[in-house]
Amino acid sequence: MGPLDDQVVREDSLTATADGLDIAVYSHWYRALPLTSLAHIDLTVDGRRIDPDTLSVTANGHRYEFGELADRTDDFWFTTDPVVLHVPVSTASGRRHRVQLLLGLSIPYILTGPDRVPLLAPSSTDKTLTAA
Amino acid sequence: MTDTAPGLPRLGITLFSLTLEQRAPGNDLAALIRQVADRDLGPGVEMVAFQSLRGWPRLDDEAVREVRGLIADSGLTPACLAVNLDLALHPGRLLTDDEAYDYVAVQMRSAAALGFPAVRVGAECGPAIMTRLLPLAEELGVKIGVEIHAPLTIDAPPVAELKELFTRLDTEWLGFIPDFSASMRAVPAAVDDAHRKAGIPPELTALTRRLWAEPGPTMAKFPELERRATELGASPAEIGNLKMIFTMHGRMDPERWADFFPHVIHVHGKFYGVFDGEDPSIDFPAIARVLREQGYTGFISSEYEAHAYTDRYSAFDQVRAQHDMLKRLLEDQPATVVSP
Repeated sequence: MGPLDDQVVREDSLTATADGLDIAVYSHWYRALPLTSLAHIDLTVDGRRIDPDTLSVTANGHRYEFGELADRTDDFWFTTDPVVLHVPVSTASGRRHRVQLLLGLSIPYILTGPDRVPLLAPSSTDKTLTAA
Repeated sequence: MTDTAPGLPRLGITLFSLTLEQRAPGNDLAALIRQVADRDLGPGVEMVAFQSLRGWPRLDDEAVREVRGLIADSGLTPACLAVNLDLALHPGRLLTDDEAYDYVAVQMRSAAALGFPAVRVGAECGPAIMTRLLPLAEELGVKIGVEIHAPLTIDAPPVAELKELFTRLDTEWLGFIPDFSASMRAVPAAVDDAHRKAGIPPELTALTRRLWAEPGPTMAKFPELERRATELGASPAEIGNLKMIFTMHGRMDPERWADFFPHVIHVHGKFYGVFDGEDPSIDFPAIARVLREQGYTGFISSEYEAHAYTDRYSAFDQVRAQHDMLKRLLEDQPATVVSP
């Protein structure tokens, strides 16, 4: 809802690669979070929903399958660094894509409700951008 | 660094105020600390370790030397380091007490290495963990303060338990860090900016403001907000945003700040905007008076948080305005003798 939400996906976030579309994503939370906090990546590109199990994610120079992030309790997504989503979508430099992303970050120090579940902080993006 | 007169609370800043500025190109930690010093926004400096320190919680010796050097060269005084207990670190379960102790202990050792005299934890760091951390606090010479932030108040059960613990242990090493968000007199205007941008109908925001201002405990108002907002057609996501108004802006009587004493080790000067020398949403004259009456001489870290709602204002300018206001309020009031 605030200014950081506008920066989750930036004007220069899209890059065409040999194996698909890379999307650089910035955190809408003010502090570094463990990679386990990347709980929900609900991504639609050009109207096609991307199964999270087909995504891989580069954080801190390491590439993980999305499902592997749940074990990365010692790795933190620093405030000013992007993580890069590797999306199996064919593209080319100069092509435009509509990116709809609902990013749900699990906030590990804010527990809610009687069951003490972590707050899920959502951020919603809908932008049409050109791949570099 | 401009300081308040001796015997008064001292001013400072938490770099959390500069959350948006941190994202601007070139504004690394060194640049932010330099700008804080150049603008005379100390003398105290606080930061959220996980926000400002790459590699936290395990800093190598070179990183420690670098950060210590940045602060020393700036002329600022380390006031407090905000650390976190990430109880829900592992999906599907909470940390055990042993894991929780270790998670905070590592950060306390790093805080001590950096030269901070105190760390801030949240209320999720309850009496059992605090009791276990006490010997480490004494060993390291680092106080541990539990931040009391909206929606918590002095009367909330977890806070009452902590007060009982601090009274029983009678130690200078554990205590409270009250946050001005617990005692607000109005919902900040910046909320309207964010709601407008998010497409939340103005009548929903107005309804929430009205309910917020009504007498009675905030926690009891959530169901009524949900019912009435639903009647007006609010979506679940909109209701979530409306509830944040109740969660982030507490309504504790400022006079009750006296009840945190004598266990106050640090203060968070949360605010959402000072305009023409006044803060419309927080009763600073009342809080400043209570802090003086209690003889508080620790730091007030200015914590500008309207950046969560709007980027319309410069956080640097806002902290300057709050410092000017606080200095005036603290120094203009006649000294009050506190009975022992």
